[in-house]
Amino acid sequence: MTTVFLCQNSFDGILCGVYDAYLSQLNLDECRLELEDEYEYAMFCDYREVLPETWKAGKVADKVNRVMSEEAYVYLYRAGLHKSPDRADRILRFIRLGLKYGRNTLRMLQNPDVYEIFQMNRYVGNEAHFLVEFVRFEKLSSGLFYGTVGPENDVLEIVAAHFADRFLDMDWMLYDEIHQKAALHSKSGFWVMHEGVTESELEGMNRTETPDVYVDMWKTFFETISIEERRNPRCQRNMLPLRYRKYMTEFQ
Amino acid sequence: MGLKEKLSILSDAAKYDVACTSSGVERKGKKGFVGNSISGGICHSFSADGRCISLLKILFTNQCIYDCKYCVNRCSNDVVRTAFTPDEVCTLTMEFYKRNYIEGLFLSSGILYNADYTMELLHETLWKLRNEHRFRGYIHIKAIPGADPALIERTGFLADRMSINLELPTADGLKRLCPGKTREKILTPMRQIQTGIRVSKNELALYRNAPRFVPAGQSTQMIVGATAENDFQMVSVAEALYKNYQLKRVFYSAFVPVVEDANLPALAGGPPLLREHRLYQADWLLRFYGFEAKELLSESRPNFNILLDPKCDWAVRHLEEFPVEVMTADYRTLLRVPGLGVRSAKRITAARRTGCLDFSDLKKFGVVLKRAMYFLTCGGKMMTPVRMEENFITSQLVGEEHRKAWDIEHGSSYRQLSLFDDMKLTAVPSGEDGKKALYGEM
Repeated sequence: MTTVFLCQNSFDGILCGVYDAYLSQLNLDECRLELEDEYEYAMFCDYREVLPETWKAGKVADKVNRVMSEEAYVYLYRAGLHKSPDRADRILRFIRLGLKYGRNTLRMLQNPDVYEIFQMNRYVGNEAHFLVEFVRFEKLSSGLFYGTVGPENDVLEIVAAHFADRFLDMDWMLYDEIHQKAALHSKSGFWVMHEGVTESELEGMNRTETPDVYVDMWKTFFETISIEERRNPRCQRNMLPLRYRKYMTEFQ
Repeated sequence: MGLKEKLSILSDAAKYDVACTSSGVERKGKKGFVGNSISGGICHSFSADGRCISLLKILFTNQCIYDCKYCVNRCSNDVVRTAFTPDEVCTLTMEFYKRNYIEGLFLSSGILYNADYTMELLHETLWKLRNEHRFRGYIHIKAIPGADPALIERTGFLADRMSINLELPTADGLKRLCPGKTREKILTPMRQIQTGIRVSKNELALYRNAPRFVPAGQSTQMIVGATAENDFQMVSVAEALYKNYQLKRVFYSAFVPVVEDANLPALAGGPPLLREHRLYQADWLLRFYGFEAKELLSESRPNFNILLDPKCDWAVRHLEEFPVEVMTADYRTLLRVPGLGVRSAKRITAARRTGCLDFSDLKKFGVVLKRAMYFLTCGGKMMTPVRMEENFITSQLVGEEHRKAWDIEHGSSYRQLSLFDDMKLTAVPSGEDGKKALYGEM
């Protein structure tokens, strides 16, 4: 009979699940990790709740860093941001392999469990990079720079970290309308993430009454910089997928 | 004239410059400053021609004393002339940067009055941007040929990348199309920047806080198809520039006829995009794959194959070196296999230490099997039995490449090749033809 460990939907929660799975001394082939708010109930399974504790996650994280590598830890962290409902279980499978093969694990792409993590990491990394490229801020009358994103994976934190270094002395905010998260950065250099931010809560922010002149100029620039004789919308679509354009100034 | 009109005119005039990369320098953000720089570079948008927009690409002014035949801004061309002020350029850059529209500034210019005066203006702009606006983002600047070396040096300490366009690969072509320019005028500052970069690197090794001179290196640009040079000449010049001038990049720009002149070719089929594409492919082979120009082309075969990319073309002519064994071939050999790139070759060398690989694994690593399958063995076996014969493999590869080449030349108007190849026919078949076809009289 399969034993399913239900863990909290966060990277730490998943690591706690890994800890509990090992602690249970069960055969890991017959264990699964599921996320408590995303799983589908299956028959003939024994369900166990995982109690989230920081020290448990810390122990697993430490082990991964020591036995595999810091790079492997980053891979796992990013895989944990992936949208797939199987991400918790895949992380468990990878850690199992990692404890056996150590530092080489990440290079064993021919192994399906490693390849899964590799792909998840790549997808999350690529999407975060797309957002770093395509996020557009608008200047509100309060002087706050405000940007909206709609990513498939939960990459807001990676994106915000990039802008925290870039715009150190600015007040800015990024809002992820899919995952309803917001990153807030203040002039002093501190930034925080808020979860469960709904759009109605953001309506109170005063937008500018006078249109931003630089929006107009950017659109002009965007038009004039392309060479008519080389027109190639297919190439443009390859490089800049349509789903990002909804949020971009030059396509509005 | 308003700022918006100026921007529209001066970005329109700058668009034929291809370089729009923001790579090569890693710089963290700093308290009291705006911006940072990522060594891989970031593209912020893609214009309708599919080219990346990374930097605010503008001319400082489109007034020019030169009369280069191919250029929109030549002094004999009748266009609206205008110029930014240094402050205007700074404001635009900062405001665009803060909205995450751009990664930095790419400032080029026509020659106003003389080279020194123009260079002075560019220097002033950069100085203000770095010191008054505390900008830490990316700056790419054109060095003006013929400007005072001291001015170029001072500007180089403020910029990340500097470039001087070679424009035409041979001195002869330059003389014909750019009456005011000579090859010496272009190569002298190029050499100066190269020396400056080397000196600065040495300084940095001694003093950690020494100012950095052009840390992202220098680049240049050549126009493809405006003069009669062949591909072999172009690639050889590029190779010489990489070797002798340590350039970071050579850009190729398919010639777009914007002004008419007796000395310029009339291009019926639009700009030579496929040729430009082949040159870029070869350029990558030179820089990352350990190829040399004389391996790819020669005096007797001076132009690239239209139907095959340069690497496949090389491989089918050197079948004696193939197939190579995935498990044992060294990295440099793997790089020479068509369908393998730098990343997939690295993944292979890392993964094979931990176990055997087969073709399905290679697919996961990003190897393009439809090209690589003719040149690789896994555990001594090829993917399918293949005759190692030049004609056979070429015909297999051409089918796939043909479609791509057609795409590049004809944009999105691609259509499937059919048995009845009527792509060149535009006339509608007459009723008579229809009848004949119906009754089988054709």
